[in-house]
Amino acid sequence: MKFKKPRSWTQWIRRFCQFVFFVLFIILAWNLHFLDDEDPTGIYKIFFHLDPLIFLLTLLSTWTLAGLSLLCIFTVIITLLLGRVFCGWFCPFGTLHTFFTWLAQLGKKKKEYQNRTSAHRVKYFILFAMLGMSLFGGHWFGIFDPFSFFYRALSTGVFPAFHIAIEESSTAIYKEDPKILGVPVTKISEPIYQKLRTHVFRMSQKTFYTEGTIITFTLLLVIGLNFVRPRFWCRYICPLGGLLGLISQKPLLRLKNDESTCSNCRQCSKACPAGAQPDQRGDWLPTECFVCWNCVASCRSDSITFQFQVPGKKAIATGKLDYPRRTVLTAMATGTVGLLGFRVAPQSKQGQPFPETLIRPPGSRNEREFLQRCIQCGACMRVCPTNAIQPAGIEGGWEALWTPKLVPKIGYCLYSCNMCGQVCPTQAIQPIPLLEKQKIKIGLATFDKGRCIPYSYGRECLVCEEHCPLSPKAIYLVERDVTLRDGRVVKIKQPEVDPDLCIGCGFCEWSCVFQDRAAIYVTTANESRNPKNQPILVFGDTYSTGTENSSSPY
Amino acid sequence: MKKKTRRQFLIETGCCAGALALQPIMGNAQTTNSPLDMVVCKWKGDPVPEEPTREIAEKLLKKAVETIGGLERFVKKGDVVWIKPNMAWDRTPEQSANTNPDLLRTLIELCFNAGAKTVKVGDNTVNDATKSYVTSGIAAVVKETGAELIYVDRSRFKEMEIGGERVKKIPLYPEIIESDIVISVPVAKHHASTTVTLAMKNYMGVIENRRMFHQDLPTCIKDITAYMKPKVSILDAIRVLTANGPQGGDLKDVKRVNTVAISTDIVALDAFGCEILNYDPNQIGTVKKAFESGLGQIDYKNKLKYQEIAV
Repeated sequence: MKFKKPRSWTQWIRRFCQFVFFVLFIILAWNLHFLDDEDPTGIYKIFFHLDPLIFLLTLLSTWTLAGLSLLCIFTVIITLLLGRVFCGWFCPFGTLHTFFTWLAQLGKKKKEYQNRTSAHRVKYFILFAMLGMSLFGGHWFGIFDPFSFFYRALSTGVFPAFHIAIEESSTAIYKEDPKILGVPVTKISEPIYQKLRTHVFRMSQKTFYTEGTIITFTLLLVIGLNFVRPRFWCRYICPLGGLLGLISQKPLLRLKNDESTCSNCRQCSKACPAGAQPDQRGDWLPTECFVCWNCVASCRSDSITFQFQVPGKKAIATGKLDYPRRTVLTAMATGTVGLLGFRVAPQSKQGQPFPETLIRPPGSRNEREFLQRCIQCGACMRVCPTNAIQPAGIEGGWEALWTPKLVPKIGYCLYSCNMCGQVCPTQAIQPIPLLEKQKIKIGLATFDKGRCIPYSYGRECLVCEEHCPLSPKAIYLVERDVTLRDGRVVKIKQPEVDPDLCIGCGFCEWSCVFQDRAAIYVTTANESRNPKNQPILVFGDTYSTGTENSSSPY
Repeated sequence: MKKKTRRQFLIETGCCAGALALQPIMGNAQTTNSPLDMVVCKWKGDPVPEEPTREIAEKLLKKAVETIGGLERFVKKGDVVWIKPNMAWDRTPEQSANTNPDLLRTLIELCFNAGAKTVKVGDNTVNDATKSYVTSGIAAVVKETGAELIYVDRSRFKEMEIGGERVKKIPLYPEIIESDIVISVPVAKHHASTTVTLAMKNYMGVIENRRMFHQDLPTCIKDITAYMKPKVSILDAIRVLTANGPQGGDLKDVKRVNTVAISTDIVALDAFGCEILNYDPNQIGTVKKAFESGLGQIDYKNKLKYQEIAV
């Protein structure tokens, strides 16, 4: 048998294209933070806007087009024409898996993986389950959406880990000050670190609670699965892949395996990362194929070609989508039942006691609508300059898993910042002008007077008052007599909160001298977005009127 | 050791006694020729130009520095200068929570003219440093003048003995302590806890965590100021914040005073700052405490060589 060198230039074009989009995604994700003079919010959303899954499911759950981008039509059109090229050529998450699949098979003999298996159905199952959930106003596919998945893991795991690695090592060198041949290492390491600090990291290091670790583990898990099957995530799990598969049942660009020259060597089947059975003549699966052209390159007899289906010419036969209609119903029913399971939680019942720590970023819609939009992408967590926004656990119910919440002890809501609303790709957090945002209440600060120093230890403190960003301040001082241990009576200024003014930004809680449990803390009470969470009757002009900060240049 | 002859001993003793006897006269001679301790420069130009403050800041500071004897008095050739302004808050220059960037521009230029090798500008900020530096307008000014903008890194503070009354041991920022001269350039502001925040309070920016010091601010501030041994401080009173300090936010609380003061005596400078904000310095805990521990004078008009000039 005559062997020829596999054709590889098409491969390199594809790899280059994948690389470019991957790097673009990483750079846009990395740069999503406060920049001196640039607006970081513009182009980064393009990946989310190109995702038809986000469009479709958000549309189904909210029944409105508001805040959605029609850019995804572009993806739909190229999928109709060319099949799942999106998965094979553009998707950055797919590129990640392509890389790790290559790594997994490095130096190993290529195995033939089963072509069509029932496991392929899993992604359709997830897709239809999420679809069923969305029809009834649920919205949980952000957990599985590839862009959300990748972005979330980058912003809460990968990027912070990278930052820690650089910062800790340079600090260690700085503190130890080692010398090599009499030359201090800091001579080289310090300028590099300072450059990175000023131009690359810019903001201080971010940290995330346990949820961030779990999110990172999910990423490591799906990366590890590439060692089980090539591109495990893309072929079995990805619901976006499933949706694009549904669209590409009859693509214009089709694989043709020439019967006359094919030697049945099955090299193409070994090379196929998708299990799209290019070796089965007339039964190639366009719904699974990533159009990566590995099969074309691997073919030693040049029998495999991709050809456009010209109207009027005899159709090139393809395999059919293996997903019976009855299974669609089962999946949708499962999703609906799942949603009911989520809604059993008291947090989901509107008007019920609301979780006190679930402080949503300013501009968030009311909880139900918020959950119908939030895709848990973590963009707000990346952009928040104070690291206040953290992924929630299940305190808001399973539906609210990994949605953003503010943890004031870690960071506060910066008075002069409205970035989270600007970057939210689905407007779960609405983009609100700064002047409007400064009036939004996200919670209410309360003193723990058993802990607060001027109340319980007879000393001045007032750090919280100093930090309150409002003008006039929501924390005011009352001078009262405090009896000390030796019987002396001293006048101490004690802080109080004005509930009409407090916006719940949490700067006070963040600044409190107590690092373990602050003596002033913010709960969700009074939050503007929830009319049922208003314990304080507004007295209007009884309190100082400082709500209009008209002269503020912000 | 070589034994001293009697003659030698007598000569030496005589010389010492002579020097001691002459000292008061020589000392007096020195004070009469010595440069000023404190200069206050007020804008009398009519009418007061509204925003921007660039012209006022430049003229006031240049005149003040010139009158006190030039920055060469404090900054030696090849020195590393650390300028410590107020820039802890994410506020604009107009809101007057941070030092006037125009004033800093002139100061950096003057430092370079006096022969400084490097001029570093940095503060341990409250809001995120990157954002505060930019919003305060100081990042742009520093870039323009060729000084270095330093991001104070929380993990790099070093525990140091300062042996104060309340503060014995404290993490300080080594880069600041190692600088040849640290110039505190505060903006005059109201502060609920200490009533005013001026040059001494500004030194809180060299320590890592200052939250607990609020339980006895006057003593802690005095301890840190005593350790820092300021050679010269400059007060920015071009705009002052009269209420809701130290952060402000409302332009209604900002007053144009158009004054710059420079002093070798940080307590006197703060006493002057109190008067600008309409407080009696004898009533302000920080100033009183520092005066009582001998860091400087409150009654600067009589105790110091003081001059007030109009530009």
